[in-house]
Amino acid sequence: MAEELVLDTAIRDWVLIPLSVVMVLIGVLRYFVSKLMRSPATSPSPDPKLVKEGQVVIRARNLRTNAQFIPAKAFKARKVYYTNEENGLLHVPKEEAQKAQAAMFSDPNMAMDMMKKNLSMIVPQTLTFAWVNFFFSGFVAAKIPFPLTQRFRGMLQNGIDLSTVDVSYVSSRSWYFLNLFGLRGLFSLILGEENATDDAQKMMQMGGGFGFNPTMSLGAEKDSLDIIQHDWALPKMERHAEDVLKQLLKK
Amino acid sequence: MAAAVAAATTAEDEARLLRLEEQAEHGGGGAWEYLCLARRLRARRPAHVLRVGLALLNNASARSGLASEQWTLYEQVAMAAMDCQRLDVAKDCIGVLSKQFPGSTRVARLEALLFEAKGEWSEAERAYALILENNPFDQIVHKRKIAIAKAQGDMSIVVDYLNKYLELFMADHDAWRELAETYVSLQMYKQAAFCYEELILAQPTIPLYHIAYAEVLYTMGGLENLQTAKKYYASTIQLTGGKNTRALFGVCLCTSAINQLTKGRNREEEGSELQSLAAEVLLKNYKQQAPSKVPLISSMLKNMKLS
Repeated sequence: MAEELVLDTAIRDWVLIPLSVVMVLIGVLRYFVSKLMRSPATSPSPDPKLVKEGQVVIRARNLRTNAQFIPAKAFKARKVYYTNEENGLLHVPKEEAQKAQAAMFSDPNMAMDMMKKNLSMIVPQTLTFAWVNFFFSGFVAAKIPFPLTQRFRGMLQNGIDLSTVDVSYVSSRSWYFLNLFGLRGLFSLILGEENATDDAQKMMQMGGGFGFNPTMSLGAEKDSLDIIQHDWALPKMERHAEDVLKQLLKK
Repeated sequence: MAAAVAAATTAEDEARLLRLEEQAEHGGGGAWEYLCLARRLRARRPAHVLRVGLALLNNASARSGLASEQWTLYEQVAMAAMDCQRLDVAKDCIGVLSKQFPGSTRVARLEALLFEAKGEWSEAERAYALILENNPFDQIVHKRKIAIAKAQGDMSIVVDYLNKYLELFMADHDAWRELAETYVSLQMYKQAAFCYEELILAQPTIPLYHIAYAEVLYTMGGLENLQTAKKYYASTIQLTGGKNTRALFGVCLCTSAINQLTKGRNREEEGSELQSLAAEVLLKNYKQQAPSKVPLISSMLKNMKLS
């Protein structure tokens, strides 16, 4: 192995510590900026159609799961009410379904929100990365007090293309990345539990933004309502009631 | 199982609420805890809340100790004051709140509520309409509007509003229940039956809905309805473990009504011994708990040919 590298204490004072402090400050700043940019009043006025569709789905699900508790006639009337092909509550015309899909993607409000979210995440990250790259590239900034395998070289020595340096030395750019992803715990301490700027979660949100589609769940609910058989549970309950009364009389 | 656990904890909480109430009323401290618990349980104990809360509000050091929580306290006290018709107190509280939060919907709701408490219906309606303009899906405001119509005694408007409300929020079973009760009071039993079916669908294990549905069906009459009603009385018996006297009577009455209609021609019901069991349980209960009324009940059952 190569002999020990001696790290200048100036590196500690002028690279390691400033980098960490700057990362923390940027995280805090980003939190306040994203709070400012967040659109006021989370959802000013939800689409009446969406509200109604959500409620229809709940009610239809109730009907599907508890159908055995109402008489057959009542069940049939409701089934027709929900699923008939002309104006049933769960019936979604084909062209409208497609339109809904299109509207989802072209909704300017939603796109705007996402833009803001992404902006508050990407812009500072690019800037800090450029800054770190410009001023601190090529430093060995720290040494981890225990040995590591070669696999960690990509993670800890980003920006140093020397295969002879021991893996436990950390380059400045890698230190930046470690800070970027490792400060979440600190942020949740500073900014309160739920306020932590969680990059990983934001990434998730970005992917799942288009997840819920009420029109689709309407269709699914309709299909499952179509196939269920009505089996009235009340006659059975009548027999159970007899047993209950017999028990009472025995006492 | 989960429901049982939940019930147990609420019972525990209620006991705690009463204990804290006692303590707070007699100046033993714990006032803020009591108010928090009352708010969480949505317990409606306006007189106590008003007394305890007002004492806390008038105590400047205690109030500032609550920091931003004091506004919640103002709101709570305002509500309690309106319940007790202490409109002056309510007005003061709401005045403080509206100075602190100008343009807030929550405060606007309180102001409208104050109009309601004063009985100024048209003012209240105008205030609610203003809130709805900005936020057309405010369920509380919609419900308040229904309550205003009900307070004025105009049942047809109540039904109208409720139907409009349910068209949008059709999964709100409290509204279904209100509509069902309104229909019953208007003697529109067919519609009421529909509402109760809806309630049974939403919460099939609550015996109250079963028995209410059975009662509506029994009132409508007709062989089919009576037979269905008897089944729902039976399910109430099952769900309550036979503790519901009304359901026991219901089974007996349904049987006798069915017998009268069929004049003994329809023998398919004979296989069931539910009615005689119900009659026996009734008799036993009366013997245990109200011996003086036993002759009444036994003669009634004899009239129904059930014993």
